[in-house]
Amino acid sequence: MELNDANLQSLTEFLRKTLDPDPTVRRPAEKFLESVEGNLNYPLLLLTLLEKSQDTVIRVCAAVTFKNYIKRNWRIVEDEPNKVSDPDRTAIKANIINLMLSSPEQIQKQLSDAISIIGREDFPQKWPDLLTEMVTRFRSGDFHIINGVLRTAHSLFKRYRHEFKSNELWTEIKLVLDTFALPLTELFKATIELCQTHATDVNALKVLFSSLTLISKLFYSLNFQDLPEFFEDNMETWMTNFHGLLTLDNKLLQTADEEEAGLLELLKSQICDNAALYAQKYDEEFQPYLPRFVTAIWNLLVSTGQEVKYDLLVSNAIQFLASVCERPHYKHLFEDQNTLTSICEKVIVPNMEFRSADEEAFEDNSEEYIRRDLEGSDIDTRRRAACDLVRGLCKFFEGPVTAIFSGYVNSMLGEYAKNPGENWKHKDAAIYLVTSLASKAQTQKHGITQANELVNLNEFFVNHILSDLKSPNVNEFPVLKADAIKYVMIFRSQLPKEQLLQAVPLLISHLQAQSTVEHTYSAHALERLFTMRGPNNTTLITPAEMAPFTEQLLNNLFKALALPGSAENEYIMKAIMRSFSLLQESIVPYVPTLIGQLTHKLLLVSKNPSKPHFNHYLFESLCLCVRITCKANPPTVSSFEEALFPVFTEILQSDVQEFLPYVFQVMSLLLEIHSNSIPSSYMALFPHLLQPALWERTGNIPPLVRLLQAYLEKGGASIAGSAADKIPGLLGVFQKLIASKANDHQGFYLLNSIIEHMPPESIIQYRKQIFILLFQRLQSSKTTKFIKSFLVFINLYGVKYGAIALQEIFDSIQPKMFGMVLEKIIIPEVQKVSGPVEKKICAVGITKVLTECPPMMDTEYTKLWTPLLQALIGLFELPEDDSIPDDEHFIDIEDTPGYQTAFSQLAFAGRKEHDPIGDSVGNPKILLAQSLYKLSTACPGRVPSMLSTSLNAEALQYLQGYLQAATVQLV
Amino acid sequence: MPTKNVVDERISKFKNKGKDPAKLREKRISECVELRKAHKNESFLKRRNLTLSSLPDEEALSPDYISNAMVTFLPVEDIIKDVNSDCKEYQTRGCQAARKLLSQERNPPLKEIIDAGLLSRFVSFLSMDDEPILQFEAAWALTNIASGTSWHTQQVVEHGAVPAFIALLASPMLHISEQAVWALGNIAGDGAAYRDILIECNVVPALLARISPDTPVGYLRNLTWTLSNLCRNKNPFPPLSAVQQVLPSLIQLLHLGDKDILSDSCWAISYLSDGDNDRIDVVVKTGIVSRLVELMSHEELSVATPALRSIGNIVSGSDLQTQVAIDAGVLKVLPQLMRHPKASVQKEAAWALSNIAAGPCRQIQQLITCGLLPPLVEQLRNGDFKTQREAVWAVTNFTSGGTVEQVVNLVQSGALEGIINLLQVKDAKVILVIMEAINNIFLAAEKLGETEKLSLLIEELGGLDRIEMLQNHDNDTVYQAAHALIKKYFGDGEEVVGVKADSTDDGLVFISSDVHETFDF
Repeated sequence: MELNDANLQSLTEFLRKTLDPDPTVRRPAEKFLESVEGNLNYPLLLLTLLEKSQDTVIRVCAAVTFKNYIKRNWRIVEDEPNKVSDPDRTAIKANIINLMLSSPEQIQKQLSDAISIIGREDFPQKWPDLLTEMVTRFRSGDFHIINGVLRTAHSLFKRYRHEFKSNELWTEIKLVLDTFALPLTELFKATIELCQTHATDVNALKVLFSSLTLISKLFYSLNFQDLPEFFEDNMETWMTNFHGLLTLDNKLLQTADEEEAGLLELLKSQICDNAALYAQKYDEEFQPYLPRFVTAIWNLLVSTGQEVKYDLLVSNAIQFLASVCERPHYKHLFEDQNTLTSICEKVIVPNMEFRSADEEAFEDNSEEYIRRDLEGSDIDTRRRAACDLVRGLCKFFEGPVTAIFSGYVNSMLGEYAKNPGENWKHKDAAIYLVTSLASKAQTQKHGITQANELVNLNEFFVNHILSDLKSPNVNEFPVLKADAIKYVMIFRSQLPKEQLLQAVPLLISHLQAQSTVEHTYSAHALERLFTMRGPNNTTLITPAEMAPFTEQLLNNLFKALALPGSAENEYIMKAIMRSFSLLQESIVPYVPTLIGQLTHKLLLVSKNPSKPHFNHYLFESLCLCVRITCKANPPTVSSFEEALFPVFTEILQSDVQEFLPYVFQVMSLLLEIHSNSIPSSYMALFPHLLQPALWERTGNIPPLVRLLQAYLEKGGASIAGSAADKIPGLLGVFQKLIASKANDHQGFYLLNSIIEHMPPESIIQYRKQIFILLFQRLQSSKTTKFIKSFLVFINLYGVKYGAIALQEIFDSIQPKMFGMVLEKIIIPEVQKVSGPVEKKICAVGITKVLTECPPMMDTEYTKLWTPLLQALIGLFELPEDDSIPDDEHFIDIEDTPGYQTAFSQLAFAGRKEHDPIGDSVGNPKILLAQSLYKLSTACPGRVPSMLSTSLNAEALQYLQGYLQAATVQLV
Repeated sequence: MPTKNVVDERISKFKNKGKDPAKLREKRISECVELRKAHKNESFLKRRNLTLSSLPDEEALSPDYISNAMVTFLPVEDIIKDVNSDCKEYQTRGCQAARKLLSQERNPPLKEIIDAGLLSRFVSFLSMDDEPILQFEAAWALTNIASGTSWHTQQVVEHGAVPAFIALLASPMLHISEQAVWALGNIAGDGAAYRDILIECNVVPALLARISPDTPVGYLRNLTWTLSNLCRNKNPFPPLSAVQQVLPSLIQLLHLGDKDILSDSCWAISYLSDGDNDRIDVVVKTGIVSRLVELMSHEELSVATPALRSIGNIVSGSDLQTQVAIDAGVLKVLPQLMRHPKASVQKEAAWALSNIAAGPCRQIQQLITCGLLPPLVEQLRNGDFKTQREAVWAVTNFTSGGTVEQVVNLVQSGALEGIINLLQVKDAKVILVIMEAINNIFLAAEKLGETEKLSLLIEELGGLDRIEMLQNHDNDTVYQAAHALIKKYFGDGEEVVGVKADSTDDGLVFISSDVHETFDF
């Protein structure tokens, strides 16, 4: 591509088309540009356009296109062609700084981004003069240019804040410091002087203050990794000026906007960060300056207003104080009673107040409010910072701080009492203060677990919280109600049980409050109370104690789901689940109504599943209804099937993908309740479960395998009888699963169930093929997980069909195959098998091979007999070998197989662990001893001689232990 | 804590037999690039304006010696003229004036003197054994020049001063010999290259020959400093043969009482031990370790610091080398050093501790027995950042090599709380190392079946909040580690979990395979 007018013209046209709203115009133009971007001069054409085009729109468009081009192509990837020609690279680097600095802001931003992308790749080695070129602009005196340079520098250097220390990184920083630190310092001083000379020129001040903010950010980046020699030598200059800026106020820079932080706030916030960085990392060097900063920041806090625009500044400033006050050698800065009082009074209390922004969120954006207040996503809020400061001060001054605040709490409660309607926010602040003062440690599971002993939580509850809970009008002062409910919730582990019991019915009535926050908190509080543990590991609150309220609880919970905004409220649904789980058989009388309400809800949400947690708890609740009812009365399972199958059919037919795994689990649960027969309704569904499309979705595989296992367990014989033509399809599923490294264990679960439950004659014709498939997989890709499952399978096969059958099927596929499997798979790998049931299966299977398989005694396999016995003793005694070859680490790490399907999405749909061997073998070590004994009596003298010649001494010792325990002696 | 009975003990022996944990010791040697000011308490690379100890202070001894104060000030032009003249008297006067100029505190005119071409004259004066005053003045002037930047030193070397100075070491005039010692020290301090040139010129035997019971202390101090510079610098290290030559004398010097000699000989040992295990071995084999441990508690910081550094280097070596230091009692000294008033000492002590904690569990046990956990936790809690960083490493190494019981002991001493509080530090690496420790502690908890208890404890200590916050960290590795911890140990238990799978398949038909392949695994 020549750099000529014709090309510029046509590029302009294509760029214009990329802005067209019509995709039929836009897309081809985008495609075209992409197809020519590999050509020489293409980037230079863009640069020319963004500089010289008459049309501002085209200039900006060219700039954006250029930036994206750089982003996609600049990096040179090893073994891939260089996508930007070397002459273009050189030309771009030679011109881009000038171009950026002389462009209007919109374009400057794009070019600045492009420079930092290039810089990330080329700086410093391949772009050595970048910094010097930038630094010379500091002397231009033009702050438009200077700010351009500073912004670019910031985007180049900010990675120093999060990257790991390395010689390469530090070499780069050293180079940057050598060229940049001094000019930056000079610029900093000059800019501050200019601020004084232009103190009355608001436009000049704005530009200068953005420079100062950028300079402060650069300071942070350059000082992050370690304290550079240069900045240590020039600490006086920087810190004195930072301190000056913190205390500076200029009416001209104050903004009217309440929300958006102004330049002064941004600058001061960054300075707080800088001071915090030095205080944390370079304490020894920073010590002389620190007290001044503490005072300045404290004064700043005292004089800063409540507006949202100050939030970042205030929370940064408070965090600074919080981090300093808990360091022992700064204790003295705070310990004066007046200082403490002043911090509490002027810094902490004002920042705990409920502001109008909070009020708006409470009413109109309850989800966000709950997330902040309940789930702790309030990291940057003033309240959180104030809480952290309280906690920091309590490290050394718990007594005095508690005393100061107690006074405040009382006076705020007094204000409230005078005129609740007017002063309810005072009570809110009082409760918040008590909470933050009292809580020393907290968990989601237990609420506050360690409290400040100087605060009497129970007394506060009785005197100030209970009254709000008891108030007959649940819709009055919803914020205070929510506070009271939250108090019960978080201090649940601290309050005596009788208070909690007193609170339960009150919480139940608050489920009816109109305020979303309020009824959500009630549901959440109840849910948490129901999970509390009492003595003997039972629930703290018993079903008997709940008996008087059961009906109202269930009623109100479902009514709450009908309140506006709470149709899919996950807290309420979780509370429903938890109530069922607590109440157990007490819910049985209500189940017919409940199941109706739940299936109705299910039908509604299945139209458009949008709240995964809500849906999850909904299915959990369904499972609980089934389990609880059928536990006492299994035949009722059919009434659940009647109620649920229509909805399930609907879900299956409309293929609601999110719900299928749940449906399969509930069906498994239902089917497993039946005693050893399969109802026809299930059999009709069986062919559909084998449809390939279902098995394509990964989330379906574990629950579907479990469902098929339930089919096999309950109706292996009926499948063999009435659906024998489906057996190849079933084995097809097995084949699909074992072909995948991620799902092969699921394939084995299915195969094991087939072996265990299908009548032998129904699968005899497929047995050889099954083994061949397994061998093929073993041959092509032998992973640890596959081998573990394979070992369990062949041993289960041996247990079920006998050791001779196992040996024969191997050797029928290929001569001497049995020996090869023993030698190369079983003996070296059996140590890797994990899980008690799995180990038991292998132990019994191997015992059979050792003692019930004649070829082991009198063929060339005999040489493997002792090594196999040794491996079995190893399986009993050695720790599990959990080593995994390096190249396997990236296969399905989270997918560890167990004999049971490890997948248990629904906690309340879980099934008991299944042991195919069961109680017939209590202790496999004894079985081994007895079987060896039997073998030795069949061929006297041989077994002891094999043992004494080649069994390792330690193993022999263990074996003798087993023989003694079984009270047998080998002959 | 489950108490092991005899049978369990036996099994555990059997258990360990087949399993070699092959744990990688986290060796932590400081990196080369530094942003900070050079350590203030380390010894000087080069020195100017030392007062020679062996100056004949009575004019009677050397009537011609003129002290600095008495030398007349001459302008550079006159100096050049004098030095280049053929008259011994002028030469001496010029040399004296030059060294006075070069000795001035601020901006000595090193470059002017070099540019005037005087160096070759000075060097030629060095060999004039019959003119000791001129010889001495020239040596002094050259010493001062060699104390400048690398470029200045280079000029001195390139004018052939090295062999001349080495020859001067043997001078019968003690102060001239000492001046040569000092000049050679400056040259050696410039870096590995000149150090090795000196060694090739056999500086070591020439220096060692001056050590005798009669050598004055002041002279010995200078000589020790020069020896330490000959041991200094890596990439490459000084040749092993030279090290072997120097070591016996260093060991002797380490048994003297003078604090300056002790300081510089400790620094020398610290340079020699700052390397791979082979280098450390050379030092350990001399049997000096117990003396070094003794010197760690020397009342002079200038002695204790390099002794501590040397021991720190040694315990960064193999388990065997570490054991030598432990047997010498290092663990009994470390607690007081961890609580030393100077932050720099605390940091070095914590660094040494972190390397001992990387050892096998029996060494970890000794660390516990000697009461190192309380000071470790104190440092995590209240130490300055550099020390906290080392302490964090100590905790992580401890948790990766310690037994379950030892890890429980560590947690109970308050270390978990300590590291959790540090999750908010502004250093990505430290944060990552802490998360690794937390992960290790979870592995121990798993063995005790107390994972859930630990999750709750961490949440109570505010750790969960902090780890959750780290999921917003800009460093991708940190984010990944935080995410993995949360997912593994802080899940709700009732959350929806997805399952991975791939789709390398054609259909669900059970295909009978007729392929006649031979299986061989």
